[in-house]
Amino acid sequence: MFTTMNTPWAVPPPPGTQGQPYGYQIPDMATDPPAYHPVQVRQSFSQPALHYPPMVQQPPQPTDQAAEAGEKKKIDWPVPVRNYVQRSFEPGRMDPDVPRAEMEAKLKETISTATEKNVLYTLDWDKLPLPQEMIRHDRRKAAGVAQEAWRQQSAAGKSFVDTSTSKKRKSQELVGDNEDSLPPWRATNPRNGFEDRVTYPAERFDKRQQPIQDDNLKGTKKSGRRKATTLTSAISSNLCAKTLQSNASKNAFTVTVYEIHARIALEKGDLGEYNQCQTQLRALYTQNLGGNPVEFKAYRILYFIHTSNRTALNDVLADLTTAEKQEKAIKHALDVRSALALGNYHRFFRLYLETPNMGAYLMDMFVVRERLAAMSNICRAFKPDVPLRFVTEELGFESDSDAAQFIYDYNGQALLEEKEGNMRFLSGKAGQIFEVAKSEAFRKVDIKGQI
Amino acid sequence: MNPIFDDFREAYENGNGYLLSQTLSPIPPSSQPQRVYNFFRSTNFAAAQKDLKQKILPFKLDPDESKGWVDIYQAYWKAVGEVLNAENAQKGHTKAAWSKVYDAWKEVLNALIRGYTNCGFEAWTVPCLYVVGKYLRIFAIKADEGSGNSIGAVTSFQDDFNPEAEKNEKLEDAARQLNRIFQICLADRAEIGESRKWGIYNIINLLFKTYFKLNSISLSKNILKAIQAYRGDMPTLDKFPVGHQVTFKYYIGVIYFLDENYAESEKNLTEAWQLCHKDAVRNKELILTYLIPCHLLTTHTLPTLTLLSPYPRLQKLFLPLSRCIKKGDLAGFDAALVAGEDEFVKRRIYLTLERGRDIALRNLLRKVFIAGGFEEAKDAATPPVRRTRIPVAEFGAAISIGSKETMDNDEVECLLANMIYKNLMKGYIARERGIVVLSKGGAFPGTGV
Repeated sequence: MFTTMNTPWAVPPPPGTQGQPYGYQIPDMATDPPAYHPVQVRQSFSQPALHYPPMVQQPPQPTDQAAEAGEKKKIDWPVPVRNYVQRSFEPGRMDPDVPRAEMEAKLKETISTATEKNVLYTLDWDKLPLPQEMIRHDRRKAAGVAQEAWRQQSAAGKSFVDTSTSKKRKSQELVGDNEDSLPPWRATNPRNGFEDRVTYPAERFDKRQQPIQDDNLKGTKKSGRRKATTLTSAISSNLCAKTLQSNASKNAFTVTVYEIHARIALEKGDLGEYNQCQTQLRALYTQNLGGNPVEFKAYRILYFIHTSNRTALNDVLADLTTAEKQEKAIKHALDVRSALALGNYHRFFRLYLETPNMGAYLMDMFVVRERLAAMSNICRAFKPDVPLRFVTEELGFESDSDAAQFIYDYNGQALLEEKEGNMRFLSGKAGQIFEVAKSEAFRKVDIKGQI
Repeated sequence: MNPIFDDFREAYENGNGYLLSQTLSPIPPSSQPQRVYNFFRSTNFAAAQKDLKQKILPFKLDPDESKGWVDIYQAYWKAVGEVLNAENAQKGHTKAAWSKVYDAWKEVLNALIRGYTNCGFEAWTVPCLYVVGKYLRIFAIKADEGSGNSIGAVTSFQDDFNPEAEKNEKLEDAARQLNRIFQICLADRAEIGESRKWGIYNIINLLFKTYFKLNSISLSKNILKAIQAYRGDMPTLDKFPVGHQVTFKYYIGVIYFLDENYAESEKNLTEAWQLCHKDAVRNKELILTYLIPCHLLTTHTLPTLTLLSPYPRLQKLFLPLSRCIKKGDLAGFDAALVAGEDEFVKRRIYLTLERGRDIALRNLLRKVFIAGGFEEAKDAATPPVRRTRIPVAEFGAAISIGSKETMDNDEVECLLANMIYKNLMKGYIARERGIVVLSKGGAFPGTGV
């Protein structure tokens, strides 16, 4: 009787001896997704508000790992180091761009260097940048170096211009910055060495805090070199400019803000913003507050060439003084104008490749239509064919394949022919294709925010 | 006060708008040099209104109309006072003085416009609008040009800050006032014989003049659009006074010229040229300033010496360039263009004249072609044929002679390609062989070879 009674009620195994957990289940991270999305509490302002780390819950094990590293050398870690490690892995401080493994490696490296140098107890761990910040900093530096290298390479790759003149678009002001020097925001910001000023909220900009805006701007200037953060710096300089406008301040600093903002807008191809800056700058230059009036006058000329605004061009010509016409940038812009007026595409594309400052960004806007114009010209005058290389060189393409791509883009595949190992362009058979594309291209000229 | 109201009476009796308008001129007629001064001295601030009423009421006009004229002459009396004052103003204070004149004159205009909108002034009086509008513009320019500090300097720093705004503050205001006159002429619904529309082209010309001075020529297009919209109930242009027509066509021609629509420009300028009074030398000179560059581009012709002989200014402007174009002297052309640049830019013809270089180049290349001589005749019977295969290097040498700098071969080819593309030269470039093959029948169209 007892046995029959007992069979359905199997005696539970003692806890811990068998597979089935007892009482409550410990969630298994690898298989069971969490039933909720963890949302971290923001602990600092250093991250953009809307940017949450990926939705994977971080198990609270980093200290164990660090302890593991410690066990090897049998060291008892001091409290500041433990805190430092803990801070590094706080969810609010995690950077989605920095993978965990890389962070751990960096952390290990930092601590072991400190141990080796015997500064484990003396180092101010509270002020030391977190590993993810170090990594980010290193990356930026690397990106700068890589860009420089790429630039030199691309310049060397150009077969027909002398190698020293690359299509360099940076203004002198940016070039003057020293890549390796202390980042400007470190010098004046005691709180956190690597905090990026660019991401400060807008309320911080205040009329009374010009020194701070000044730093901010340096950060912007600097970050303007990195494509990745251009957006933030554009927003930042935009805010800066807007604040200045509402404060109605007018001084050399205002000029600098607008100049930098205009350059960033150019780089991003935002003509509306660029025009606003140009309007302000034009007014500011009349008050002799310094800045680079020559550079921006040259941009104005190029812009009017782009919009084919003859009346404005004539007015600009009327305003220029003889001395200004000799300035390199303005002279270049005027030469561009006259080359185009006379249809001298040969000279135009030479000038295009030697554009000073950031004028190439403006010239990019009309170079395609001028290429089409030159193409129609070549197709009409040269018979029966020309080498593709000739097209490449005359129309300022970077390479033969770029030139070929251009011809392809306008359905000119049939016009390319290989002959005796050379690519030849059958200019005599092109008919109207470039002529049609040319008149199309000249018809639409963007005039938003016209000055 | 009497001489003015004698004219007023006479004008009203005969319906003579031009005589009436002269009573509102701030400049006295040459026969009575003291008229404006005496008018101003004949009364004073306190008595002006009463005195003017006494003068105007006896004409037995409609009560509204009388009141309108009293207001106008009262404003006029104040304005001429300011004019006399400004003419005697010390150097350094002229800006403030002329600004006051401008403001007082604007009151005259306001009173006059009220006359049309509220007091039923008839259409024959529109010449008053011409005169008042004309001097409004003149006073505005004097106020803007005057020396000394303006009273309310623009210091605001707005989104669309315009450095020109301060410089042309009054003239821009004048443009707005003239636009009001334009509107009251345009919007008159009276039957056409009695309509103020007959004044429209004079006012348009004033507006154009102002817009050109302000460098905002694009605004002229709004006026043209408005005219276009009303064209149904408007007499055609040729019914208007010839003077209005000439000025209007001139401005339309220049506007087309600046838009690079040389065909339309040439048409309008030629019409203006033909209608222009034969003794209006200055006006003819202005028309030619644009008509000559126009012709150079459309028909590739240069002005003759006889055409230019009455206009020394135009000779100075165009002769050096014409000579170089004729000779095909590229270096000389460039030098002449640089030498005249300031003047050309001021007259807005620089960008057009620059294109004359094509013609100069065409003439040079043509010389090379002619210098090439003839092919060896196969037999004596056939007429000789010019040599049509010309090495690119020969053209290159010709281009380099003037500048004394060797131009690289690709650029020479580029220039030649341009000539062919623009149909100034017929043929093609055979790049591989380094020669240009020119057409046997008319290598240089329109030049006889």
